[in-house]
Amino acid sequence: MSQLRAFTMPKWGIEMLEGTISEWNVNVGESVVKGQVIAQIETDKIVNEVEVEYDTRFVRLIAEPGQAYPVGALLAVTSSDTVEDEEIDAFVRAFVPAGGAAFENLEPASASSAPPGPSGTASPAPTPSPPAGQLAPAATGRDRPAIPAGTLISPAARELALRLSLNVSVIQGHGRSGRITLQDVDQAAKPIRSVHGGGPVAIEPTGAALDAFYASPYAKRLAVTHSVDLATLTGTGPRGRISRQDVAAAAGISVVPARGAAYEVLRMSPTRKAIARQLTLSKSTIPHFYLRMSANVDALLALRAELKRAEGSAPSMNDYFIRAVALALIAAPDVNVQVHGDQIHRFRDADISVAVAADKGLITPVIRAAQTKSVRAISAELRAVIERARAGKLRADEIEGGSFTVSNLGMFGVDQFDAIINPPQGAILAIGAARLRPVERGGGLGVAQVANFSLSCDHRAIDGAVGATFLQELTALIEAPQRL
Amino acid sequence: MAVMNMREAISSTLHAEMERDSNVLILGEDIVGGMGTAGGPEAIGGIWGLTGGLYAKFGPNRVIDTPISESCIVGAAAGAALSGKRAIAELMFADFVGVCLDQLYNQIAKFRYMFGGAKCPVTVRLTYGAGLNAAAQHSQAVYAMLTSIPGLKVVMPTTPADAKGLLTSAIRGDDPVMFFEHKTLYGDKGEVPDGDYLLPFGHARMVREGHDASIVTCGQMVGFAAKAADNLAKDGIACDVIDLRTTSPMDEETILDSVEMSGRLVVVDESPPRCSLAADIAGLVVNKGFAALRAPVEMVTPPHTPVPFARELEKAYLPSAASIEAAVRKALAYR
Repeated sequence: MSQLRAFTMPKWGIEMLEGTISEWNVNVGESVVKGQVIAQIETDKIVNEVEVEYDTRFVRLIAEPGQAYPVGALLAVTSSDTVEDEEIDAFVRAFVPAGGAAFENLEPASASSAPPGPSGTASPAPTPSPPAGQLAPAATGRDRPAIPAGTLISPAARELALRLSLNVSVIQGHGRSGRITLQDVDQAAKPIRSVHGGGPVAIEPTGAALDAFYASPYAKRLAVTHSVDLATLTGTGPRGRISRQDVAAAAGISVVPARGAAYEVLRMSPTRKAIARQLTLSKSTIPHFYLRMSANVDALLALRAELKRAEGSAPSMNDYFIRAVALALIAAPDVNVQVHGDQIHRFRDADISVAVAADKGLITPVIRAAQTKSVRAISAELRAVIERARAGKLRADEIEGGSFTVSNLGMFGVDQFDAIINPPQGAILAIGAARLRPVERGGGLGVAQVANFSLSCDHRAIDGAVGATFLQELTALIEAPQRL
Repeated sequence: MAVMNMREAISSTLHAEMERDSNVLILGEDIVGGMGTAGGPEAIGGIWGLTGGLYAKFGPNRVIDTPISESCIVGAAAGAALSGKRAIAELMFADFVGVCLDQLYNQIAKFRYMFGGAKCPVTVRLTYGAGLNAAAQHSQAVYAMLTSIPGLKVVMPTTPADAKGLLTSAIRGDDPVMFFEHKTLYGDKGEVPDGDYLLPFGHARMVREGHDASIVTCGQMVGFAAKAADNLAKDGIACDVIDLRTTSPMDEETILDSVEMSGRLVVVDESPPRCSLAADIAGLVVNKGFAALRAPVEMVTPPHTPVPFARELEKAYLPSAASIEAAVRKALAYR
């Protein structure tokens, strides 16, 4: 028997449940060498390149680009030497995903199933004979056929069930003679929807008193709601009947549009879903409080202008701010924390997550040990990482594990805002635009470029005074930028 | 307003219209009854009890017992109508339209279209429907078949008041009307307006009003649907229940208005599902209301079989409040 191996959906990080092949970089039958990029996989956080970990040949690609697969799902089959199609078929049928079961009716994998990982191996085991008296086709262990022979199922339904690794024997078919349709599989793969509506409701027709009028039921309903006298109307509906348009025109309202036409349904991308999950968790469980301070940035602007004159280019204001935040975090280490249950992890380095708007939503690449890097170095690193982020090529380790986040909307003209903490971090800084504002100067009034800073803190770990210390240090650095 | 059952509402409307217009005549099997027996006219007969007293009042020229021949009844009615009368033809069981189908679909449905706009004011009253253990040849709901024929209007009253309003409109109108009377609804009581009362065709009735799902139905099924909606309302699920009243012309506007609000359609039909009224309405909404639909259209119909005779089987055959309620929940549960 040839050495067939399974290439399965990898598990990158504890939260990853499923991934999407955005692109295959190999073709069927292509030989690959260790380290070669074979696919792009998108998780709810990033798109990442996948390198093959051993020299081999891809004998079958199973996953379709654009489709989500649970962690551990079979994506492709590899083999170092030539194999027959039937052998691959048998291997695919016998494959049992390890862990990461994303669907409630996916049967639990047997204890001896393949280990997870990008190259989890699952060589076919000897087929055990089904226990006597078992009515259903052998339904446990590795010999479980993906879809038992003789199952009445449409071709598209079969394909979907295979792709989602659904156990079709528990799906009730609604086609002729119980044949399983695409709709049956689609519905089986989605979570059950509760239809309980709550307390009793009144369903007496509201327009019943208007029976004498030749008006459509909905027109009568509208007439009651908007106190329109139907006797004053001339019907323009079918056969001269008063229609909802007639009543709406008389009441000066717009006719309720069709529900389906009022909006467009956009599916959340994996990234969007991750943002939604993370921020909902944060805002609903973390006791936020906000500290606001402003800083005169005239000196910083002057410093930057001078550098630009001298060297032809200068880092952006944001780069300076990140550097200032890094130094302020080292000065106020109690803000440079992550919160894990009843433990506070205080970080030695200022690992600063920088919020960046990308096509698919917000991402936060991390500048590690930013206090050790010059403004120029921060600038270069950030530019490179943003470019990779926008191309969807960030590695998981480039976006994980920051100790503090900086979000700057100044470039969009936002004066001031409060940000939501990015858990498990303890705080986030929101930076607004620098604007000319009146300031007290030498006992009189002058104007200066002033920017607003708002610090959102997790009160479980950070008290007001601690946060204030950080902001004082930060604004002092910005107002006397020589130390940057 | 007087409270009466549907039988009384139809009978009194027949009396009123025959009194009002001497051109109105009625013919059918055994509608007088007792002719030639010792008891004389009206001694026996009129198995649905709808035509009693007509013979005594209007005489043998306007109240005519016919041989047992549906083709004779409808054919004679068509001829009378073409020559200026307003004919009411009674078919004791709608199941026998097959016998007079040529008179219906190839003759009276075509006269106005083919012969210079000839008026043919025939009202064919047909007793239809299952639920009385009358077996496969006397229980069918054949309205879908006649609804499919251009040139015929198809009417199905559900309440005594609607029976009066629709029958009056049918008799006074100039077109052939198939007036379907459900045999289980004859005893249903309700308030009926006094004096002249006409209901236009193609004008559906809102029986219940909610926004979660639209139940569209007609005839005997309206009561079942209302019961299902009342059960669902206790659970916080509010349904529109639409009684179509007439299936040709059909009130598209009311159906689409409702589905555009609810996004979910449950059609309840007493005829088997293939080429049925349920299929027709489902097709209409899929075609014109697709943007509003949030779940597949649910069709609650009998199975594709003849109506069974055994009481238990007949009960299982017919849609019920429970099966309608289940269909609404299924539509709401669509993911």
